[in-house]
Amino acid sequence: MKISKEEVIYIAKLAKLRFSDEEAEKMTGEFESILGHFQSIDRMDLENVDPDEFADRKESIVRADENVVFGDNEKLFSNAGSMRGTFIQVPRILE
Amino acid sequence: MSGGFKDAKKDGSDPAGTSMSNGHMGIREISAGVAGGKWSAYEITEMYIDKIKSMDDRIGAFLTICEESARAQAKAVDEKIRSGKQPGKLAGVPVAVKDNICTDGIRTTCASRMLENFVPPYNAAVIEKLINEDAVIVGKTNMDEFAMGSSTENSAFRITKNPRDVTRVPGGSSGGSAAAVAAGMVPVSLGSDTGGSIRQPDAFCGIVGLKPTYGLVSRYGLIAFGSSLDQIGPMSKTVEDCALMLEAIQGRDDRDSTSYRGEYQQDYAGRLSGDIKGLKIAVLKEYFTDGLENEIASSLNESIRRLEGLETSVDEVSLPAAGDGLSAYYIISSAEASSNLARYDSIRYGYRPKEYADVDELMEKSRSEAFGTEVKRRIMLGTYALSSGYYDAYYKRAQKYRKLLRSQLAGVFEKYDLILGPTSPVLPFKIGERSGDPLQMYLADIYTIIVNLAGLPAISVPCGFSRDGLPIGLQLIGPHYGEQVLLQAAYALEQDLKLGL
Repeated sequence: MKISKEEVIYIAKLAKLRFSDEEAEKMTGEFESILGHFQSIDRMDLENVDPDEFADRKESIVRADENVVFGDNEKLFSNAGSMRGTFIQVPRILE
Repeated sequence: MSGGFKDAKKDGSDPAGTSMSNGHMGIREISAGVAGGKWSAYEITEMYIDKIKSMDDRIGAFLTICEESARAQAKAVDEKIRSGKQPGKLAGVPVAVKDNICTDGIRTTCASRMLENFVPPYNAAVIEKLINEDAVIVGKTNMDEFAMGSSTENSAFRITKNPRDVTRVPGGSSGGSAAAVAAGMVPVSLGSDTGGSIRQPDAFCGIVGLKPTYGLVSRYGLIAFGSSLDQIGPMSKTVEDCALMLEAIQGRDDRDSTSYRGEYQQDYAGRLSGDIKGLKIAVLKEYFTDGLENEIASSLNESIRRLEGLETSVDEVSLPAAGDGLSAYYIISSAEASSNLARYDSIRYGYRPKEYADVDELMEKSRSEAFGTEVKRRIMLGTYALSSGYYDAYYKRAQKYRKLLRSQLAGVFEKYDLILGPTSPVLPFKIGERSGDPLQMYLADIYTIIVNLAGLPAISVPCGFSRDGLPIGLQLIGPHYGEQVLLQAAYALEQDLKLGL
């Protein structure tokens, strides 16, 4: 399985990750080895298998969409990077 | 136990809990003593905290010791008993919890820089249940970052050592929870199992561990890795303690849409006996191949003879799909991980970089700086497998394989009660020995992953030792919701082997 460094960098962009040149190089080699192993899945005869995992499940699981008040707002937001009043602050998105 | 409690309390460094014959106290003994006033939950808690403090420098099983909250919980248990209320089934029992299970007000890191300072504002369902039964949470245990790994070497914070040989790994990803129990720092712990993360460290450390049927134990508050595979389960010295813990943590929870909606059996431990006469056991041919170390194979063969001696029948069967699961497992688990870990954007919680120009850079920088190498590798693999052009070749084929595996396994359970095999193909390896080669590390999961792909329950029990004294684990796999028969067989084998762990 041939993978290029450019592909690795493209996948990293999709995953919101950034690699140095050296890291991308190393990841490319490891990817080739792992994906090479993954190709064993090509050898299996899966032609007539329905991939729907839950096709044999009889009922679908739903619950009522109900509001639940957490109560302790301070605790709820205690892990946020930065707050302004009761709002979570993020960097400017629109110019 | 023979007066060991008083002695152990005097000398906090007493490693009494390291063997059954030498002062290990199980759940029944601790909780009966607390309920009956022989000792208080507070005294028990102090004793185990002392043990952790004196032993953990050498083992490295814990990321957080919850001294204050544990004392407060213990006092509440003692107060409940003083006021005449009925104590819970786990009264005063100290429990260590893997650090990917949310604990209200107690740091929960997933052994990642990303969550280094994360303090959950709520308890996971299993923690609520433990506290309802009057257990005491004494600490949070080390693990592979985000549960990705098989040696606990991927922790961002520390290396955990195998208490049976401190030059070796304890297995993973629930390595801290396994080491804590094996060293006697706690009687029982909780782990999570996505591809073998409870069972393989149990085999490596010589303890018992159960991965319940998918849906039996609520995942609410378990930090997600592979949501269709993840399951929380107990780890302990004995099969009985494993059964008692399962009774406490199982149950329907509407906050987890995959929670089982049928009848739950209530009394696993009460039904344990040494009698397994007539049980039909299948041994998978595909599990006894070149990759399996000889000493493990011969230990398993001895256990098979023992089981036959208990008037069970053991047949070799072939399950062609069993040997091919690794690719499908890593494709599905990485795909789910890449999606689950997309939530780490540094906005609502998680690591925040010092400088960033805009929101995109904030996300990219936080993820690149705070995730470890293995976590990034899995996110990359998962993103690749789900990306346009590759989805059919990888993810869809893996799902098809999963369906095929489930139907082949269902076929085996039409004729047999249990499937038997090794837990791990290898003995506990040296620290650093495999960490350079991701594929080698993935191969350590080869016998455990089919259980998660099929949503089945499985237990790992110690079945012997290698020439060098390293523990060997045997895995029993049951049909969906077949926990009782699994525990029953494991118990019979434990009683018959009397390994004195």
